[in-house]
Order: sequence, then structure tokens, then C-alpha cells
Amino acid sequence: MKSADGKGAGRMSDRVFAVLWLSVCAVIAFQMFKLKVPFAYEPVGPKAFPLLMAILMALCCLMLLIRPDHQVHWPERPMLMKGAWLVASLLAYAALFSLLGFPVATAAMSLVVARLFGGSWMSSSITAVLIGVLGYLVFDRLLEVSLPLGLLSLDA
Amino acid sequence: MDSFSHLGQGFSVALAPLNLVLAAAGCFTGTVLGLLPGLGPINGVAIFLPLAFALHLPPESALILLASVYMGCEYGGRISAILLNVPGDAGAVMTTVDGYPMAQKGRAGVALSISAVSSFLGAFVATVGIVLFAPILSDWALSFGPAEYFALMVFAIATLGGMLGGKPVKALLGCFIGITLATVGIDSGTGVYRLTFGSIHLSDGIQFIVVVIGLFAISEILVMLEQTNVGQQVVRVSGRLLFNAQEFTSALSTMIRSALMGFGIGILPGAGATIASAIAYTTAKRISDKDGSFGDGDHRGVAAPEAANNASACGSFIPMLTLGVPGSGTTAVMLGALTLYNITPGPLLLETRPEIVWGLIASLFIANVLLLIMNIPMIGLFTRMLRIPNAILVPLIASISFIGVYGIHSSTFDLVLMVLLGVFGYILRKLHFPTGPIILGFVLAQLMEQNLRRALSISDGDPKILFASPLAISLWVLAALVLLAPLVWNLLKRVRGPTPAARDKTRNVPLDGTRD
Repeated sequence: MKSADGKGAGRMSDRVFAVLWLSVCAVIAFQMFKLKVPFAYEPVGPKAFPLLMAILMALCCLMLLIRPDHQVHWPERPMLMKGAWLVASLLAYAALFSLLGFPVATAAMSLVVARLFGGSWMSSSITAVLIGVLGYLVFDRLLEVSLPLGLLSLDA
Repeated sequence: MDSFSHLGQGFSVALAPLNLVLAAAGCFTGTVLGLLPGLGPINGVAIFLPLAFALHLPPESALILLASVYMGCEYGGRISAILLNVPGDAGAVMTTVDGYPMAQKGRAGVALSISAVSSFLGAFVATVGIVLFAPILSDWALSFGPAEYFALMVFAIATLGGMLGGKPVKALLGCFIGITLATVGIDSGTGVYRLTFGSIHLSDGIQFIVVVIGLFAISEILVMLEQTNVGQQVVRVSGRLLFNAQEFTSALSTMIRSALMGFGIGILPGAGATIASAIAYTTAKRISDKDGSFGDGDHRGVAAPEAANNASACGSFIPMLTLGVPGSGTTAVMLGALTLYNITPGPLLLETRPEIVWGLIASLFIANVLLLIMNIPMIGLFTRMLRIPNAILVPLIASISFIGVYGIHSSTFDLVLMVLLGVFGYILRKLHFPTGPIILGFVLAQLMEQNLRRALSISDGDPKILFASPLAISLWVLAALVLLAPLVWNLLKRVRGPTPAARDKTRNVPLDGTRD
């Protein structure tokens, strides 16, 4: 369903979010009812507080449904594509952080991200290598925050 | 006075070589993060928090580092406000009104130096205020029972969400989302797993650091992507670099007045640097603007908001240190830092861990002096930082955030969850949800639930205990009042309306104080 004017489309976002979050509330409530508590020492068990939150959140969502308040300007398609690339590279960075090791994973992520933020191939590559290598040396060697070496570790 | 001997003790903590180095490093990077548009105190403190923990810093040193970053950001925001007409952080919005016109007229040096001195004065007045008021407030808070505590936290949430939020429903919903995220994992009372959906990774709950970095570093990066097109010109600093005696004396009363106002506003939960600087600016304009020079490059118009936002940043430490209830997003992050060290915040903190509280207070004095030194002679260095391209900055922020989170638990799951929470945070921000309440809710959730359950255990399940004492009742009444205040506020705004200059400048930055 698409409204013709931008205003309606903008406020649609609030409504969509409210509906989605209402279902999250339902899941929380269901989980809490399902929860088996062995025995209770206290009058209020572990269920009450999350249930209370689910009810309060549901009330807020209903208010949003009735009175959505803001227009939302979602980015245009090219920007959305760049955003998707950014999220994908960050997710890959997270997933491969310990497998590839900090220097390699960081250099790869930095290259993609620097390009997305308008760096040239040349400057992005230099940035990427510098952050990967210097980051490892400064944090792992100098400051003793242990970081994975991954591919570069020699004992493999 | 007892406070002064404690303060002496605090200085011996703050002057330890490690802590001095951390304070200097924090001040410097804080100023840089503050001057970069988009990154503000909450992002700076969020990025440094896991690092401090991963570096195995002792708790007082970690807090000193975070506090210096916070203060540095409040100093740094004015630089881009004056030279670029873009506030570096939300607290510097009002500084653009007179700061940029001053820079355009070749008085950038005067604007930068007088705002540095007002920042110093504001922070100094507020830190003295902490020394005087913190012990009193924490003594008083010792009499709080679980019911009063619960009511106090409800009040804090209501103020942050209600009074100055502008969008109370979303602020409250954000806060409840934060609370719900914190209930994931094992329940300390009974040992049952809640909302873990069978995942082992979630059985310990969602790590505070993962939420903080997700919401304030990852989502910020996503927001920055949409703003890469700024090709703004930095005004060159020319002419006099320092204000003269006449300019200083004419602004002194404005500075002191703004500092006191900022401090008072900073203590209130929910009202932070953004609100403080806006109110200080409008007051200064009303009192001193006799020839209509405000908005056109009046140095007092720069002095007022800067004194106020620094004072308010320091003032916001009071509820965090004495009550264990933070009044702003940034202090909520710092409070979470304490809980990472298994330190329970609250009124007992001042007695049980004086080295932390007084060390922090003493380091505020030191950081303030360091910042003044950095911000007047070294200003040229910072103005050059304005030219750092995002193509270097963003990969740097991303990798430092990952190092911090990985350095704590070496968990790939945490990294992935952090990115996902970042995307969630980005969507919430696009929908105009303020992010401060989410983190406030997350930090307060456990204490709230514990106090609620403890209170109801005492009364054997009778909810009347929550409203039994006069103090609890007044807190509930206050909470209800601040939730209803936006209606009144909106009515007032419709009648009076903000000044044209203020409306112009604040169009892009919401004055909701939730990003302080």
C-alpha cells in the first residue's frame, strides 16, 4: 500500500514499526507465560517485570499506530545500496574477525568502507594497510589487548 | 570541611602519572571527537569504554579517561560551530548563532579563545558545585528504601522521556526497549533463563558494551554515510588570537550567570547540555542585547552557551555519583562502566569507594585546566583536524570499536550482535527515536527490577508499599508532572515561539537533550 503524498508515506514507517514491535511484545509475553519457574521465594517472580515492559511497550505502539508523529526520509536507492554494502562489510568483518585475524580482516573492511566514504582507490588502500598493521601493533603489542592474528599466525 | 580532605585524597589519585596521562589523552581525543560534526560526547565515551576495560585499567582510571573524553567533547563542539557553522556536538548548537558570524568578520580567534575561557569557567563553577553538593545529596539518598529507589528511577525515566523529549511516546518506548534488552539472560533472583530463545550465547545476557557500541558507534557510522556530501569551507583563523581585557570583563557576568544556570540544569535528570546552552543563550540575549548585536557576532553570545554546556556536563555527574541514577545518555554509559567493574553505583559509593568518586572529581579540575591549555595555544592543531576525511575516520572508528568489544570476551557472537544492534539503532534513529533513553533503560533495568521485587518482598506482595512514604509519593507525583509537561510546553511554544535565529539554527538538531 503506497500513499500518493510523501507525508503519508513518511508516517507509514511509524505504523509499520508499531505493528512489528507489537508482535515482538506478543512474543515476549508468550515466552514469559511459557516460562517455568521452579519455586518462588518471593511474591514477584521473574515473569512480572518483562511482562510489565511488554504491556507498556504495546501501549506505546498503540499510541504510535493512532498518532504517528514524524515523517521519515529514507535514503534513495543508490544510498540504500551503499548502506547495504556498509552493513554487509561490517557483518563480514564481525564474522571473520578471528578467522582472518585482525590485520587482514581490518584492512579488507577498511578498504571497502573507505571507498564507500568517497576515498580514492589509492588513498583507501593506504588507509586500509596502515589501520590493519598499525592497529595490530599499537593495540596487541603496545597496549596488550590480545587480538587474533588469524591467517598471519605462523604456528598453523 | 570534610569534603576538602577527601578532595585532597582525590587529587592524589588524579595526579598519579597513569591517570594524568589518561586525562591528557582523553582531553585531546575528546576535543577531536567533539569538533568532528556527528560525533559527540556519547559516541566518544562509548568508543572509549570497552577500550578502557580491555586495557585492564583500574576503575578510577577508566572513569577519569571517560570523564576527560566527555569534557573534551564539550570543549571541542564549539570549534566546528565557530569555524564551520556546524555544531560539533548537540551542546554547541547555540554557539553557531554568534560564533560563525564572528568568524566571518575575521574575529575567529577571539571567538575561539573567549569560548574556551567560558568553557573553563563553566566547568570550574560546576565542579566546585559537585564538591559542595555531592556529599549532601548522597547523605540524603542513604535513607532511600527499595520503594523510594524504584520511584526515583521511574522519575528519571519520566524526565528524560517526558519533559524535554519533544516526542514522549518514542522516548518512553525507547526506554522500555532498553529495559527489555537488559532482561535477556539469566534471572539473578531465580536462576531461570529469560528471552534467550535457547541460545547459549544469550544466557549471560546481552553485554552492556555490545549495546553501547552498537547504538553509538555502528549506527553513527551508518548515519554518517548519508552525510558524506558536505563540502563546507572552514573559515581561516586570522587576526587577533586572544580576546582583550575589555571583551573579557564585558562577558564575565554573562559567563558566571550561564555557568550557574548550566550547573542547575545539568543536575536535573533529562535536561543536559543542549537545553542548558539554549536557555543560557536566550537569557543572555534578553539581559545584555541592548544594541541588537546578538546573532550578528556578539562575543557574549558565544560565551553564554559555552559556559552553560560545560557546566551542565559537569553537573550531570552529580545524580550519577550520588544517587546511582544517571540523568543523561552519556552519564548512563559511564555508570554502566562502573557496573562492568562490579561496582554498585548508588549513595554508598561515596563511602565505600571514595578514591573513585573523589578521584573523578579531582580529575575534572585537572582535565579542565589541561583543556584550557590545549584549547588556546594549540587551537591551530585542532582546526586542522576538521579536515580529516571520513574515508579515514570511519574505518578507524569501526576498527577501534571492534577492538574494544573483541578485547573483552574474544567473542565473534558479540561482534555480530553489535552490528545487528547498530542496524536496529539506525532504524530507530531514522524513525526519530532518541537513543539516550534506550541506554538509560538498559543501565537502570536491573536495579529497577531488583528494587521493585525487593520492595514487594518486604510488603509480601502488597503494591501499596510503593506509595507508602511521603518521599516516594512526591517522586511519583513529580514523574507524573513531567510526563504531562510536554503538553503544557507545546502550548507555551505555540503562544510565544522561539527567536528566529534560534529556530534557524535548531532546525536540523532536535533540542531534546537526549544526546548529551
